[in-house]
Amino acid sequence: MAPDLTTDVLVIGAGPAGSMTAKWAAKAGARVLMIEKRQEIGSPVRCGEGMSKDWLPEVGIKPGRWVNLEVEGARIYSPSEKVFEINEKHAGNEVGYVVERDEFDKQLAIDAANEGVEVRLKTAATAILKENGQVVGAKVKQFGTTFDVRAKVTIGADGFESQVGRWAGISTNLALRDMDTCLQYRMTNVDSDVRYCDFYLGKVAPGGYVWIFPKAEGLANVGIGVQVSQIKSMAEARSYLDAWIDHHPGYAKGKKIDMVGGGVSIAPPLKQTILDGFMLVGDAARMIDPLTGGGIANGCIAGKICGTVAAEAVHTGDASKKVLDKYEKGWRVRLEEKLYRNWLAKEKLTTLSDETFDKIIDALIGVKLEKLNVHNILKAVHDKYPEVTKEFEAFL
Amino acid sequence: MPGKKSLHIESSGQLCIYCGACVGICPLNCIYLDETRITFDEKVCTRCEICVKACPVGAIEID
Repeated sequence: MAPDLTTDVLVIGAGPAGSMTAKWAAKAGARVLMIEKRQEIGSPVRCGEGMSKDWLPEVGIKPGRWVNLEVEGARIYSPSEKVFEINEKHAGNEVGYVVERDEFDKQLAIDAANEGVEVRLKTAATAILKENGQVVGAKVKQFGTTFDVRAKVTIGADGFESQVGRWAGISTNLALRDMDTCLQYRMTNVDSDVRYCDFYLGKVAPGGYVWIFPKAEGLANVGIGVQVSQIKSMAEARSYLDAWIDHHPGYAKGKKIDMVGGGVSIAPPLKQTILDGFMLVGDAARMIDPLTGGGIANGCIAGKICGTVAAEAVHTGDASKKVLDKYEKGWRVRLEEKLYRNWLAKEKLTTLSDETFDKIIDALIGVKLEKLNVHNILKAVHDKYPEVTKEFEAFL
Repeated sequence: MPGKKSLHIESSGQLCIYCGACVGICPLNCIYLDETRITFDEKVCTRCEICVKACPVGAIEID
């Protein structure tokens, strides 16, 4: 047994959301301890490694060595492989960088450490501590030694597999249709295009998509997400991905140099992310975008709000829900509407037949969309295939 | 619980890639991921088989 620790803010998990929360809490003068169960921050990577870039300045991230390249646009492939191209001009913030997540995560942890955050590796939370209904810290295990960390505010930033929220009393359980299970190979000697992130839709990836995110000339992340509710037998993420690669000679000739996997939530916004003395942020709070599967931006934007509010709670001496509600409301103002709208879209899109996907993409090709938004897309589809948009009228 | 099917998570490195998908989806929160081990609470598990489906590489077997 080691002596118990006391701090102002305990952040459980040193991924982007955790580091961002820790950084902004420390910037506002709080003492922060951030713990990470692994021996290395950011590794192994569990991410497609593609992200938009317009949100980076807002949370204080500068481009760095973690950027592989900047893409010009995205290509969406229908089931019959008609291609709809989106370039940056139209998509605005939806295309951006392909990154090295391990370098990115480490940089965010360095930024937090530079603000005074204490970081402990190989330190896992094993239980949440509560007194009179208020969360007062966590039991942790570091290099096999257990001790308590007492904190005025405890933050759960422990990722998709989050248990801390559930231990504290927030249900983060997912319905099977609100999860994609994913597998990705990093492959060299492939015919990817460094100008584009590619997305393949349809039954090749039920309830998800195959993605090709280029890292360098001839080097790309080749991955898949499959909706768990559509899975019928074991290891289907792997069998669907392997089948796709086999059918695409430009990738079948590739060599795998990395394999990662993981779960991605494609869920509607949680009803509650705070308790007395406790906040949940990032993938742990189910903030991943249900349509794209992207969670880094949302986790960091919420992390900045979370860290700022945590520091306020420390300074006022009140970490009750009443004070933490500023975070609850704050992240919802920024993120909730889009999360919910994209969840509705995903609920619809995951039921579409290959035939319908082909019609939608076909209708978009060759139409000069001024701006890429739901209205313009539906209008273009309606002009060519009105029977398809009938299904979406309710959604509009 | 007598008569329970046997659930086996292959986590010695042959199949499991320690991605945590099973940990996140378990409705009873009874799967645990240390850095290099996945274990589950035999007493709590009801063999719902959700983890079997969720595993991207099929490292969880049930019979």
